[in-house]
Order: sequence, then C-alpha cells, then structure tokens
Amino acid sequence: MNDRIIEHTDSDIRSRLLMSRGAQRHRRAGALAGKTVLITIASSSLIALLFIFYFIIKDAVPFFRLEGFKEFFTSTRWYPSSGEPEFGALAIFVGSAMVTIGAILVAVPMGVLASLCLSDILPFSMRQIVKPVIEMLAAVPSVVYGFFALVIFAPLLQEKGGGLLSAGALIILVPLSIIGIVVASDLVGARFRESSRKTARIVTAAALGLAAALGLYNLSQWLGGLTVDSGTNALNASVILGIMALPTIVSVSEDALNSVGREMREGSYALGATRSETLLRVVIPAAKSGMFAAVILGVMRAIGETMVVWMASGNAARIPHPIFNYLEPIRTLTATIAGDMGEADHVTGSARYHVLFAMALCLLVFAFISNLVSEMILRRSRKRLG
Amino acid sequence: MELRTRKMLDKSFTAVGLLAIVLMAASLLVLLQPIVWRGAGAFIFRETVENRRMKLEVLGRGSRERLSLEVTQAEAARKPVYDMLDAFEAEMEEGGPEFRKRYRGDYKEVLELVTELLGPRPGAAEPVLIRDRYGQTRWDRAEVKLHRILFVEEYDYSDPDRMGVKIEKPRAALFESTSLEPLFGYIEHNFKQMMLPKLTFYWRFLFDDSFDAHFFGGIWPEMLGTFYLAFGAMLFAVPLGIITAIYLSEYAGTGRFVSLLRTCISSLAGVPSIVFGLFGLAFFINTMKIANGKSVLAGSLTLALLVLPTVIRASEEAILAVPRTYKEAAMSLGAGKWRTIISVILPAALPGVLTSIIISMGRAAGETAPIIFTAAVSVGRPLAFWQTLSQPSPALSWNIYNLATEHEAVDEIRHVQYGMVLTLVTMVLLLNLTAIIIRARISRRLRG
Repeated sequence: MNDRIIEHTDSDIRSRLLMSRGAQRHRRAGALAGKTVLITIASSSLIALLFIFYFIIKDAVPFFRLEGFKEFFTSTRWYPSSGEPEFGALAIFVGSAMVTIGAILVAVPMGVLASLCLSDILPFSMRQIVKPVIEMLAAVPSVVYGFFALVIFAPLLQEKGGGLLSAGALIILVPLSIIGIVVASDLVGARFRESSRKTARIVTAAALGLAAALGLYNLSQWLGGLTVDSGTNALNASVILGIMALPTIVSVSEDALNSVGREMREGSYALGATRSETLLRVVIPAAKSGMFAAVILGVMRAIGETMVVWMASGNAARIPHPIFNYLEPIRTLTATIAGDMGEADHVTGSARYHVLFAMALCLLVFAFISNLVSEMILRRSRKRLG
Repeated sequence: MELRTRKMLDKSFTAVGLLAIVLMAASLLVLLQPIVWRGAGAFIFRETVENRRMKLEVLGRGSRERLSLEVTQAEAARKPVYDMLDAFEAEMEEGGPEFRKRYRGDYKEVLELVTELLGPRPGAAEPVLIRDRYGQTRWDRAEVKLHRILFVEEYDYSDPDRMGVKIEKPRAALFESTSLEPLFGYIEHNFKQMMLPKLTFYWRFLFDDSFDAHFFGGIWPEMLGTFYLAFGAMLFAVPLGIITAIYLSEYAGTGRFVSLLRTCISSLAGVPSIVFGLFGLAFFINTMKIANGKSVLAGSLTLALLVLPTVIRASEEAILAVPRTYKEAAMSLGAGKWRTIISVILPAALPGVLTSIIISMGRAAGETAPIIFTAAVSVGRPLAFWQTLSQPSPALSWNIYNLATEHEAVDEIRHVQYGMVLTLVTMVLLLNLTAIIIRARISRRLRG
C-alpha cells in the first residue's frame, strides 16, 4: 500500500521532470509572459511619475512661451486677473521659503530631540506610548490642521499675540539658558585653583544668571508688547507646518539613530562618557547623514503642504517688511495654485491657467531633486553602516 | 569639566529631550481637545423650540401635539416683546420727525436682531429661505444673539498707535426713557421661557442630508463622498501596490532597473499633493475626459496615485517580514514560486498588508488638495454608486475647508464645521488605531 503511493508520486515527479520539449517551451513562454505582466504592473509608479512630469511640463511650457522667465522669477507684482496681467511670483517664492524655514526652525530641534529620546533615553514601555502619539500626529489630515490654525490658533494669536509669543519664547529659552549657565560657570571655574573654584563658579553662575534673567525679561517684555494685526500670518502657518513635519523628521531620524550599532554606544560608555556625551559626540556624528535626510524630507513635507498654508498664511502676495517679520501675512506656491485654479480653469489656455502649472513645475522639480538627494544620502549611510 | 557637572549636564540634556516629547504630546492634545469638545456640540446640544418646529415642519420628526403646546407656551412668553415693539412704533408715529430720526436706525437694528432670534413674527409672510423661517435653533447661538441684543459693540480709536479697542455698551441706554427700554430687561429675564431649550442627542447628524447650505441637517453627502473617494482610491492602488511589492520583494534583485523603480517610488511619495491635483486635472479630466468635468472617479484615480507609494512600501515590508522558513518549507514541498507566493507568503503577510491598506485609506480620506480640482464640490446630493463614474461629490475634507472659509455665514455654522472635523478625525484615527492594533498583534506573533 505504502509502496504504491511512493511509486505513484515517483512516477508523477518523473513525468513532470521529463516534459516534452513543446511543453517546456510552452511553460517557459508562460513564465515569460507572466514576468512581463508583473514588471509592467510593477513599473506603474515609474509610469505615473513620467506622466506627472510630462503633463505638468506640457501645461507649464506655454506660460514661459507667453510671458518669458524674467518677470516670473524677479518681479513681485502678482496681478494675474487685471486687464494687463502681471505674473511676478517672487513674493510667492519668498513666502514659500519663509514658511518652510519657519517650519524647520520649529520642527528640527524638537524632532531631533524627540528622536534621541525615542532611540536612547526613554524606556521601552514609554516608547510604546509615544510612538502612537507620533503616528496620530502624522495621521491627522492636513485640512484639520488648517482648520485648527484658522479657527482656533489665529484668533488666539490675534487677541493674545504678545503674551503667547513671550510665553512660547520663555518655555524654550529658560531651560536652554539654565544649561548654558551651568556649562559656562563650570568652564570658568575650571580656570581657578581648587580652593577658590567653588566661589568662582557660584559668582559666575550668579552673574550670568542675572544677565540671562534680565535679557529674558526684556525679551518677554518686548514680545509681550507686540501686537499681531492678523492671526493668519507666516508665524501661524510655520508653527502648524512644523508640527505637521515633526512625525516625518522623528521617524526618519530615529531610524538613522537606531542604525548606529550598539557597539559604538557601548564603546563610548566603556570609556566613561555619560549618555549625553555619547549621543552628542558619538551617535549623532555617526547618524548625521541620516538625520540630514530626515530634515530634507521634513522640508519637502512643509513646502508641498497646501491646506495649512492656504488657510493660515493670510494669502497676501507681498514680501514682508523687514523680510524676517513673521507676523505679516504671506502667500505660498501651493496656496496660490489651490486658490487661483478655481477662477482660472474657466479660461483654460490662458497665461493665468498655465502660470499655475509653472509653479507646480517648480515645486515638482524641487521635490524631485531633494528627494534624490535624501535618497542618495540614506543609501550611502546605509552602505557605510552596513 | 568636573564629573558632577557632567552628570548634571547629562540630566539636563535628558530633561530637554523629555521636554520635546512633552511638547509634542501637548500639541496633539491642544489640537484634539477643542475638536473633540466642540465637535461633540454638533451631536449633543441644547435645542430651542425653534429647532423642534423646524424638525417637525421640514423633516417631519417629533410629535405635533407636544410641539403645539410648546409653541403656545413660547408665544405667550414672546407676546410682551411684540407688544413693546408695537408700543414703540406707535410712540415713534406720535413723537414727531425729530424723535423718529433719532431712533429709526437703532430701532431697525433691534427689530432685525429680534427677528433673527425669535424668527419671523407669527402671522408674517413666510420667507423663502428655510433659515429665515425660524429663529435660533441652538441655545448657544441664541445666547450669542441675546448678547448682541443686549449690548452694542463700539470701537475706541482714541489711541492712534493701537487697533480699535472693543467696548460693549448696554443697548437699553440707547432707548432711555422710551417705551422700548424695558424690552431688554424682559428678554434677558424671560429668555428661557421664550426659547424653551432642551438637551438633545442629534445622532442623525451623520446620516441626514444637509439643507439650506448646511444651516440645518447633517453631513451624509460628505461622508458618502469621502467613503467613495477613499474606497475608490484603494480599489486602484491596492492591486497595483501589492503586485509591485511582490515583484520588488520576491522577483527583483538589485539590478539597475529595480533601483530606478525604487527611486521612482520614493519620488512619487515626495510629489506635493497639490501637484497630484493639477496632474489629475490635466490628465484625467482635460486629456482623458473620463467624465464631463469633475468626477469621483477622477478623484479616486488621483488619490490612488498619491497613496500608491505608501501601499507598496508597507506591503513590501510585510512580505519581507514573513520568515524565510515559510518560503523554504513551501519550496521544499515542491510548490512553484508563484504557488508559494499565493498560498504561503501572501496569507502570512496578509495582516501587514491589511495594515498598509488601512493606513493608506485613512490618508486618502483625509487628503484635500488632490480632490479640489478633480472631484470635490461644495454642495451636492448623496450619490448612488453608479453616479460616482460621472459626477462630483462633496467630501468631508473639502467641505471643512469650504465651510470654514468660503461659506456666507461662517460663524453661524461653526458647529457643523466642528462636527465635520470631529467625524473626519475620528474616522482617520480609528483606521490608524486598527492598524496599530493589528501591527501589535503581528509583532507579538512573530516574536513568540
């Protein structure tokens, strides 16, 4: 009984192995066809990317043919709907750059510190709580952030503008200045002899503390005295965008930190370094390129974001005066595309329609290049760290 | 540096790091708290007798007998108001041109505000718009209106360096020693009797059609639109994504073509969402002309491209997480490569793939920029399934923007906006929560 089964499967296998040549060819052709179909489907993202480039360029070219490059990139006069339309987008480019820089100033310090916490400081159980928080921050739709910025944050900024600014500045600057004072007084104390070291340290700390307190007091007074004319401004958009870009930065930079091996850390600890010294002198230098890639990805998230800036930035196409005045409304590329297309798409074919594609092309090229750069950096660092 | 200082610095570094984490968690809390709190106000609120009237007359809900009882009660409380208004009108008639000129403007304002609060006077001609036929239907809005009746807002521009400072003056002072003066006190003290507020749970907010430009009703068309868009996007993105993931993880080596493909996928993920919207407009609508103008189908296709990289990456990760031994066992039993993938690897990777699908679905549901030019309209009926091929639809994400910025009476319908935001956030976060739970289960299974 048993033997027969074995015999049977044996002959079965043999018959499979000894296929006729026709059947073999047939089978190979089938496999080839299958593989071709598979590759075609797998290339869908390649095809999609090519199509996106092609169609955006196709509709952007007529604009440059109609209006040329010079006005678009150098003039700040943006009057697309007047009788003699002007398409100077410089102020809009500046606006995009401003919110992006602002968002980075918010997101990078926080994101890097948070990723350090996640990778090295927090115990495992806390990490399990913090990670969903980050995931939730990433999952909240952008229009919800925009709604928050417009309906809740903007009125708050407008009414309590100065107070809010000084509170924010104090929350960030007080801990930093305390650390700075400790370091400085210690460095100063080290220059004195053993006996007078303690007094020297106390005296420096007291002097620096007094100076810092005075400085902070003046700063908060100055910030508290500022009035915010409009709650929808570059600051509002930057803060909200920064929070939106946080999850990207945290997760990519945490990956980079985790890919630095245990051996490096343990070696550093074995030499007697504290955790912060290990992080600052060993781990961060090793993970630096990955963290840089994280920052690039955060920049891309911020510059490509539409709803938040559309709702929260005020949409005024002019360069603030002075240029770092974040309390003035600005306008970005994405918001211009979203806002103007509604009026422009009735007149398909006009310069007003094509100028939006020209802006989209600029965004697309920027995103593409920075993506390639971050990809290259990540790939290289992965190779280096094994 | 001394050891003590180094230790202290180490601790303070930790503290700053923790501060960053706390700030991050706090920002999530600050974001969600008002949304949950005020969003709940769309569902649970104190309705006035006007709302009950509206519900009965427009939607046919509620009991007629009880309502007529309440209406008589409210009208009895309101009668003195109308009497006082009539008395003042008579006084204006008699008072001569000087008197009339002085009070005409102010009186007209009071009359308008009272009509806004209580609705048109019984017996008056019925207005065309539904919102004008009723007074304030929500107690919180009614209180705002009451405040506007009782106080006049003025701006003080005496300090040229600052913006005008708002000052509130009692309106009664404007009508001092006329027959209208007691009106304000009366309204303030008998407000409850006039409006008869009652706590209500409006769960139908999710399933009611909206009418009269979102002044009343629910958000069903938006919910349905969002569902169609997200579901349609997954319909296109999931097969493409999974097959690509299979190719990348099982067939592709590390050749030049594959690395090009990977670069393309990450570049596609980096394309700004508004650019996807423009592409959808230029390709699906202006070139392919898949429908006459915007349609849900065009929006779904655009969203599908947007989420494709997410689906691919997460599915690939899930497939790679399947232990090699599974594959080797299947191969050693004589299964072919394709057979192994279909019957062993995919089932094992299914939970992970499912997670990727769920997360991408949440992303597609929340995206706004890609659907502005391709699928979204501000007002529309709920679509039947086949209509999605050719017609645009309202969607939660777009309507949140639209109602918060472009609506004619943004402040009056805050509760609808918050209700929509809460619904969208709940939908997306629930999807993500499901994904997190599934993932936790997988990692537990793979570990033990």
